[in-house]
Amino acid sequence: MPDSPTRRTLRLGVCGPVGTGKSSLIAMLCRELADRLSLGVITNDIYTDEDARFLRSAGVLDPARIRAVETGACPHTAIRDDITANLMAVEDLEADFAPLDLVLVESGGDNLTATFSPALVDTQIFLIDVAGGGDVARKGGPGITRADLLVVNKTDLGPYVGVDPAQMVSDAGSVRDGRPVIALSAHDPASIAELVAWVIGRLAAHRDGSLHPADPGPMAPHSHGPSHEGHGDHDHDHALAADHVH
Amino acid sequence: MSAPSAGLVAHLLADARLPVAGHTQSATLEPALVAGLPADRIPDYVRLRLRTVTRVEAATAVVALSHQRSGRDLRPVVEAWQARTPSAAMRATARTQGKALLRLVARLWPESAAVHAVAALSAPPRPIVLAAAADAGGLSPVALAGLVGYDDVQTVISAALKLTPMDPVVAAQWVHHALPEVDTLAVAVATLTRPGGIPASGAPQIEAWAEAHAVTPRRLFSA
Repeated sequence: MPDSPTRRTLRLGVCGPVGTGKSSLIAMLCRELADRLSLGVITNDIYTDEDARFLRSAGVLDPARIRAVETGACPHTAIRDDITANLMAVEDLEADFAPLDLVLVESGGDNLTATFSPALVDTQIFLIDVAGGGDVARKGGPGITRADLLVVNKTDLGPYVGVDPAQMVSDAGSVRDGRPVIALSAHDPASIAELVAWVIGRLAAHRDGSLHPADPGPMAPHSHGPSHEGHGDHDHDHALAADHVH
Repeated sequence: MSAPSAGLVAHLLADARLPVAGHTQSATLEPALVAGLPADRIPDYVRLRLRTVTRVEAATAVVALSHQRSGRDLRPVVEAWQARTPSAAMRATARTQGKALLRLVARLWPESAAVHAVAALSAPPRPIVLAAAADAGGLSPVALAGLVGYDDVQTVISAALKLTPMDPVVAAQWVHHALPEVDTLAVAVATLTRPGGIPASGAPQIEAWAEAHAVTPRRLFSA
């Protein structure tokens, strides 16, 4: 079924490497938003329904609104190349609990290169954490440089892992061409408020038609001329041109 | 735009790159391996399926195609398939796969009466939807049955590469060796036209594995 341009529900993807806190971030959003928005969650677990069970047991959302999708050991495929299983799960959830305001889709923890297809989610968060090392943000990758929002999680652990969160956020900002970065800690209410405000802002943009799903892309940024540098949401028709070298 | 040849449509429908969530399926191989099936017996597992559960699917598809081409109701075909697919887990999987395939065929053949007829059914299983695609694409009954068999073989073997990695040319060799059995299956069911003729060739062990898989908390594949 093609999407109606007026689809009410915002589909928000959360991706990033294993252990960076995707499930906890989703639980946090459910806790913060469940009293004002109608929510649903799709998890993509690689080997178990662990993430779905974690979220159900967190008691932040009706367990029936949390569904797991198996990916056949292809977590990357399931959110990017053949999104069929996820799209069907999202549509079923939206139909079963209509009207939903927000569906959160959690990717199976994969690696630094996995990002969502814009055909599956309207907007996406890429998550890294200070415990993963201070150089991760500098190394870049499509999610870090071009996801709609980059979250640097577990900033409270900085002193214990020898990483300066402020430096990490600054490094991330330098490769993101002005796109937002949030330094998040579950123990820092101000950072949680910042995250919630971003989500609410995206929902408002979705509703007023100003949100255009963009692909962070699997490829390094390629220049099409000064006005296009670094943007992933433009037409790629010209990418087939014979003189176009990636 | 002229219509493509039936041969190329068959290639398209058999392609693992088709966006129908094929990567989520192991054709019950995952629970079979968990239960102790040795990896070197996977070719036997493929043959067992072609003679049992896959035979039911192929025959169902062929009979559905016959009903579609002669304007007969599809519901008795679905009922015959249900009666010959005792595992609720396998029925649920076939319906999920049918839904994914219907998304695709409704896009490929929006004008097809066969596709409309299938879309009007409640949660049609994969062989019924595939029959509509075959009708729209001009496939013969034997080509359709061969497609069902071939897809099943490839589903098992490609899942095997994920579950028990091996040199992939060995896996391709297994597929190649299974092809005559696929041909035999296709020819055997191609002339069926009535629901009562669909063989009741279930495989209780495969059905038990499918049921066990549906409730395990640890799995890579949906089914």
